[in-house]
Amino acid sequence: MPDGLQQTTSESDVPTVPDANRGAEEPAVPRRGFLKFLLSFSVVSSIAMTITPIVGFLAPSKAANAGAGGKVLAGTLDTLPVGKGAVVAVGSKPAIVVNTAGGVKAFSAICTHLGCIVLWDEAASNIVCPCHDGRFSPATGAVLSGPPPAPLPQLTTVVEGNDIFIVTG
Amino acid sequence: MATDTRREERLWGPLEWAESRLHLGPFIAALLHVRIPRDAKTFYLGGITLFLFVIQVITGTLLALYYSPTPGSAYESVLAITSDVEFGWLIRSIHHWAANLMIISLVLHMLRIFLQAAYKFPRELTWIVGGGMFGITILFGFTGYLLPWDQRAYWATTVGTEIAGAVPLIGQPLLLLLRGGPDVTEATLSRFFGIHVLVLPLMLAGLTALHLLFVHQQGLANPKRPEPRPGRPGPDLTTEKTKPFFPDYVLDELIAWYAVMAAIVILASLFPAGLEAKADPLLTPEHIKPEWYFLGIYELLKYVPRDVGIIGPMVLVGIIILLPLLDRNQEVRPRRRPIALACAFVLLVGLGYLTILGGR
Repeated sequence: MPDGLQQTTSESDVPTVPDANRGAEEPAVPRRGFLKFLLSFSVVSSIAMTITPIVGFLAPSKAANAGAGGKVLAGTLDTLPVGKGAVVAVGSKPAIVVNTAGGVKAFSAICTHLGCIVLWDEAASNIVCPCHDGRFSPATGAVLSGPPPAPLPQLTTVVEGNDIFIVTG
Repeated sequence: MATDTRREERLWGPLEWAESRLHLGPFIAALLHVRIPRDAKTFYLGGITLFLFVIQVITGTLLALYYSPTPGSAYESVLAITSDVEFGWLIRSIHHWAANLMIISLVLHMLRIFLQAAYKFPRELTWIVGGGMFGITILFGFTGYLLPWDQRAYWATTVGTEIAGAVPLIGQPLLLLLRGGPDVTEATLSRFFGIHVLVLPLMLAGLTALHLLFVHQQGLANPKRPEPRPGRPGPDLTTEKTKPFFPDYVLDELIAWYAVMAAIVILASLFPAGLEAKADPLLTPEHIKPEWYFLGIYELLKYVPRDVGIIGPMVLVGIIILLPLLDRNQEVRPRRRPIALACAFVLLVGLGYLTILGGR
């Protein structure tokens, strides 16, 4: 059947090339190849046409990525005297605020190892992750021990009167 | 054959009615009336895994009738299923235990195939498809774990997606895709619910059909001799002792299913699925642990750099799935495959040790 088709094609519809180097019955337009190309193009473009909106749909919206901006009240010097620390919400993100001898410090409370929320270990005077016991310095956020690969990102704090604010954005 | 003909003649009325229109008899006979090697010892593990998947589909569908996939109501709906809905605790506990047993039976099934070298020629594709089914089953566990929206669920998912996010090159887009944003939120819950109840069941059902088709086409492997290759001299198969798949093997399999069902009901009754405090995105509970089948990797991440702890297991899984293409030894008897068996032994002992360490 394919042979028959080939013959019909070359004999009837397709113009031939009067070139001595090529067979007189060879089609100038490789119709079968062209149709295969069209078919492949249709298949690829159909797949792309289907996948593109799906991937776009699945990608989170920009609103979901937007963080909170501005100045957020994180506590007071009464609730957080020197030597104390607490986890507070800053927008949708958790932060840990520690009142150290060197001043009030704040860091992202998301452990850089596997995303658990760190805690203030008052007895050891450092920040600890409950998942794999990673420990961080309350002064700089640097890793003291354990598997975390990076320090906790530091946040800007402002003390106004008795209030402690974390500045974001 | 004469017996079969008589059986067809005595078909039950409605079946006779359907058969006279659909002519499915030869098709069903081709599926059932095959012979399997008497030496083949399957321990019914593949069939048990299939049975557990069916239980999951049934109990999962029932749970979905009451479950509400939003952070505001997911926890409360699971609480209501457990305490208010008639037999809700039982359905949920069966779903919980069948999930765990499904992973155990699947691992044992793969181990059996490995020990009997049934992944070798001509069953390479059956093993690879089975590897895909194992991956989907693990994803079932991972996505289903979040749905109760309790502390354990929330933090196991946070850590799990964080691990996915640390995969080189594709990590961050993968994390955003899984979570539906940078954090585990209601977007994550919706995605996990959709994946758990729609995407994964369809994928697993499709791969199961393919897997069974391959098994049917190739028959069960004989663990005592390699499969004869085309054009090469092989053993005389006419002397091989066989037994009928139906009813002999099917009956044994049914008995195994009943035993498994009894075990699930006992486990569900004695150790019903629990629920911890509602998820709190600001408080990671102390000594938080993932489900037991992730404990090994979770513990490994404590001792090795994060990239190593993530890429290592991925490479290992890749090697296991592609094992039939990597293992060129044609021998099937365990004592003639010392290297393969030693590797498996070291892997199992290592994983078991890490799991026990993680569980303490």
